[in-house]
Amino acid sequence: MAGVRLEKIHKSFGADAVAVRALDLEIAEREFLSLLGPSGCGKTTTLRMLAGLEQPTSGRIFIGGREVTEVAPGRRDIAMVFQSYALYPHMTVGENIAYPLKKRGVPSAERKAMVARTVDLLQLGPLVDRKPRQLSGGQQQRVALGRAIVRDPAVFLLDEPLSNLDAKLRAHMRAELIQLQKRLGKTMVYVTHDQLEAMTMSDRIAIMNKGELQQLGTPDEIYRRPANRFVAGFVGTPAMNFATGRMTVADGRPAFAGAGLTIPLPPGHPVEGEAGAGGRAVEIGIRPEDVVVGEGPFEGRIRVVEPTGHETIVLFAAGEADLVTRVPGGIALKAGEAVRFRVRAENAHLFDQADGRRLGAAAGH
Amino acid sequence: MTRRGPVAQAIYSLFAWTVVLIVAFPLVWMVLTSLKPQFELFTIPPTILPQEPTLEHYARLLNETPFPLYFRNSALIAVGTTMLVVVVATLGAHSLVRFAYPGRRWLAQMVLFTYLLPSVVLIIPLYLLMVWVGVANTLFSLVIAYTTFALPFALWLLRSFMAAIPDELEHAALVDGATRMEAFVDVILPQALPGVISTALFTFILAWNEYLYALVLVNRDDARPLTTGVINMLTSAFNIEWSLLMAASVMMSVPLIVAFAFLQKHLTRGFGAGGVKG
Ligand SMILES: Nc1ncnc2c1ncn2[C@@H]1O[C@H](COP(=O)(O)OP(=O)(O)O)[C@@H](O)[C@H]1O
Ligand SMILES: [Mg+2]
Repeated sequence: MAGVRLEKIHKSFGADAVAVRALDLEIAEREFLSLLGPSGCGKTTTLRMLAGLEQPTSGRIFIGGREVTEVAPGRRDIAMVFQSYALYPHMTVGENIAYPLKKRGVPSAERKAMVARTVDLLQLGPLVDRKPRQLSGGQQQRVALGRAIVRDPAVFLLDEPLSNLDAKLRAHMRAELIQLQKRLGKTMVYVTHDQLEAMTMSDRIAIMNKGELQQLGTPDEIYRRPANRFVAGFVGTPAMNFATGRMTVADGRPAFAGAGLTIPLPPGHPVEGEAGAGGRAVEIGIRPEDVVVGEGPFEGRIRVVEPTGHETIVLFAAGEADLVTRVPGGIALKAGEAVRFRVRAENAHLFDQADGRRLGAAAGH
Repeated sequence: MTRRGPVAQAIYSLFAWTVVLIVAFPLVWMVLTSLKPQFELFTIPPTILPQEPTLEHYARLLNETPFPLYFRNSALIAVGTTMLVVVVATLGAHSLVRFAYPGRRWLAQMVLFTYLLPSVVLIIPLYLLMVWVGVANTLFSLVIAYTTFALPFALWLLRSFMAAIPDELEHAALVDGATRMEAFVDVILPQALPGVISTALFTFILAWNEYLYALVLVNRDDARPLTTGVINMLTSAFNIEWSLLMAASVMMSVPLIVAFAFLQKHLTRGFGAGGVKG
């Protein structure tokens, strides 16, 4: 079994530069796990500790059930794809791919066969004798992948591998990477700051912020049940709508009141599972698709209309809040118009203003 | 390249060729003189081309003087110094760039500081040190002496080359199963090659041409390099053997010219390429 386990991993660079804090993470065999978070949140540092390029200040690392905290990078049975690809400039594509085999003492004949298989798999055939600088970004990316998969490691570590590609190629490589992972059946740890990549490719996502794990879950869980205010705000495009206020009671039901809006929460809403919620200072979060314009109890005024083709993003003001919603493309709305709207309150999230934690998180949804 | 008119072009060419001629004239004169028989040197009017070209001075130098010994000494000193400096400077520069340890920056600045010291002030302390250690009057003492002033420059030159190499390259090699030393040899060194060659050339020339230290640190005839050996052998209070001196000078220049011819390609390629891209 070739899973990965991080136990209480802590990493600081100097006294007050903590890069990773008390990180516990268990990655199953064959799982595609993304480390997602804003720049500087400690993703790369975490990956480099997994690779053995950085020593954790404290904590333990296991790969495939074996503790590797003190083991050299080359003996961890991992392969890594770097953000800059890090191809050896003075070696040809073939030599680059063969290098890890050479360093492991694979005999020459066997080496040739393994390189040939990898070259076939990634369709690098016509490029084997070229130097990296004679390749396009996409081709360099494939060579970096080739160098990683050629020796069949237990775990792949990828650090923002697509971030240097243009948008179209990125979408293509995303699909290719997913297929590759299914085909190889290997554990992959994938670092990205791009939520679209994480959402589309991952089995599970670990969201980090300021060196701390915020939530670990499937893309669906992360989207539908964000554990805290940070996760809710980080995932989703356009971003979730937020308004600050208090928990009150309206018509005998718990309700949110703030920013000039009162939103009653329907029976079964997770906030019912939260003891002592009444009167608490909270922030409400509503996804753009849960704000429905056309009719409803609330009124707002449209400020900006952004058609994107198949849908239109509409920004409008209601009470003291600025809200975003998405409507199907082709619906005629104009800036300055008044609109009526309703909110799917059953999908509204409530976060404690003090610590950002989601209310009723334990109750499920 | 900027475009120039034909007139400007002509002026540039004229200027460049004038400079080349001024620089080249003594060298050409040296070669021509070495080929003239002794009696032709002081004829009036002087001849430009040798009337009766001869290799007798070269033959005498090689067969009847200690010139071959001095040549061997110089070669050993220059090659030894170059190897020592290149090995220490590549590893040292890599350490200054990549490893974090207390005093790293301070160390780098001290290295530069020693380079700024005029070498004359170190000569006597160094000599006393050599005597104390018991290596005075040996080729080895000159290797050490030349290393002391080639190394700081070499470290700084190589440091900038090393700093331009992305550390992800070295990390990739480590993940691929290389040891630290293998990563250095397989990946770092090839990237720093233009810098290593420049360093080697600089050190070789310095060690080959050095005079002052050789004069002070070595006063045993069989340990002299070419610079002091030849002067010692061919000049005396009464007489300078010009033809022999010129022939010796020509032969002293040959190794440098050969080294340049072989390495120039790498030098220009290195400088032309600028940094290293991953
Ligand atoms: N070698 C280092 N020395 C000092 N600080 C570092 C070093 N590497 C990373 N950091 C700091 O650790 C934090 C996390 O960095 P990193 O893991 O690279 O973030 P990410 O990959 O998520 O953008 C940042 O604040 C960064 O400045
Ligand atoms: Mg990073």
